[in-house]
Amino acid sequence: MTLTSILYSLILTLVPVTWALESSSRPLMDVTDPAALQEATRVLAEEVKVAARPQTYVLIDLAANTILLKGRGVELHRIPVKNWATSDQGELATTFRLRERPPVTRRKIDPSISSERDPISLADMPTAYSLRFTPALMITIDSYDHANVWGMVAHFMSQWWRLIIKWWHALWTEAGSSATPELDLTMSVDDAQSLAWMLTDGMPVLIRRPTQ
Amino acid sequence: MKQAMRALYLGVIVLLLLLTLAQGNEIPLPDTSTVPSKPADPAALRQLQSRYHSLSKQLAQLMPAQPYILVDTARNHLYIRHRDRVMLDALASTGSGTMLDKPGETQSQWIFDTPRGEFFVQSKLTNPVWVKPDWAFIEEGLAVPKNQADRIEPGVLGEYALGFGKGYFIHGTLYTRLLGKNVTHGCIRLNDEDLKSVYRLAKVGTPIIIF
Repeated sequence: MTLTSILYSLILTLVPVTWALESSSRPLMDVTDPAALQEATRVLAEEVKVAARPQTYVLIDLAANTILLKGRGVELHRIPVKNWATSDQGELATTFRLRERPPVTRRKIDPSISSERDPISLADMPTAYSLRFTPALMITIDSYDHANVWGMVAHFMSQWWRLIIKWWHALWTEAGSSATPELDLTMSVDDAQSLAWMLTDGMPVLIRRPTQ
Repeated sequence: MKQAMRALYLGVIVLLLLLTLAQGNEIPLPDTSTVPSKPADPAALRQLQSRYHSLSKQLAQLMPAQPYILVDTARNHLYIRHRDRVMLDALASTGSGTMLDKPGETQSQWIFDTPRGEFFVQSKLTNPVWVKPDWAFIEEGLAVPKNQADRIEPGVLGEYALGFGKGYFIHGTLYTRLLGKNVTHGCIRLNDEDLKSVYRLAKVGTPIIIF
């Protein structure tokens, strides 16, 4: 990766709203578009297998910038994605299984204390975390809210730092890209916490890639 | 603050443009690599459309044809849905997510989560009685009774209960002020009116999807 391309990537992290608006105006699926149809058919074939079992699963729709929690083909919950980036879309065409849900600090009940215990809530969920899958895939969830300027600054700084680290590794290793495919998803703070809440160990995840 | 941020953005863009000119590189495009588009062969396209419609139909057949129960444990709502129609939207209480050490067992705890996934109504009870498990005594610092009769506590589960496996139930509660919060030991609590509606609408075998 050249220095200029790295810096352009950094610049492009500053315009997530524009990206999201542009992407969300795209129609969901055009049955006359061979590439879109091929991709949609691939995802549907995977989804039919997953939906046939008594489990909930996630469909990450990069074409529609949306994460859907589904069960039996029914949409249970929807999370909008502000923007996304991936190292290699070709590696995303399969069903992944989440190895472990994001860690959460659970409160321990102390029988010697009789007062009411604070229950767990969405606010206890992490707002930025990494998810590892089988077969190998790493999804990094990051979040920010427009209302929180410093949160936004922290988000962009962490994105830039991740790009710089990737550039550094690319500079010192022979391989041009990481061995594990990566997908970065950015969403609101509430949605990142909501996603962390609803994920379960071993949950199947499908990814629908955008087409031209 | 907004003006300062705008100035910062513009400054970085100008810097980048200058860098590009200095390096003389072709302006790199963002990674918009997508699934490559194949030429539109009409026969192949028709075949693909046919497969797409067939798979869509298969997926639609997997969807519950009957009303089903949907529980949102993050927002503590229970819904009864039939296809796209919401027949009931009830405020609920679900698992607290807290832990309790099992006495005498290292590295072993009870974790009070409402289980996630797909289940089915396995039983429908009227005037259920709570048979308190060991954790109900241990969390209060009480000794676990040896006599089974000492575990029975009537009148705390409401008029109805619907079991969905492994000791988990949808039942009533005396603590209606706590509805909307994650406070239970894994069961799903409703107020009396909503519980009655669920009992009437659900049958043994009604799917319950919990997330």
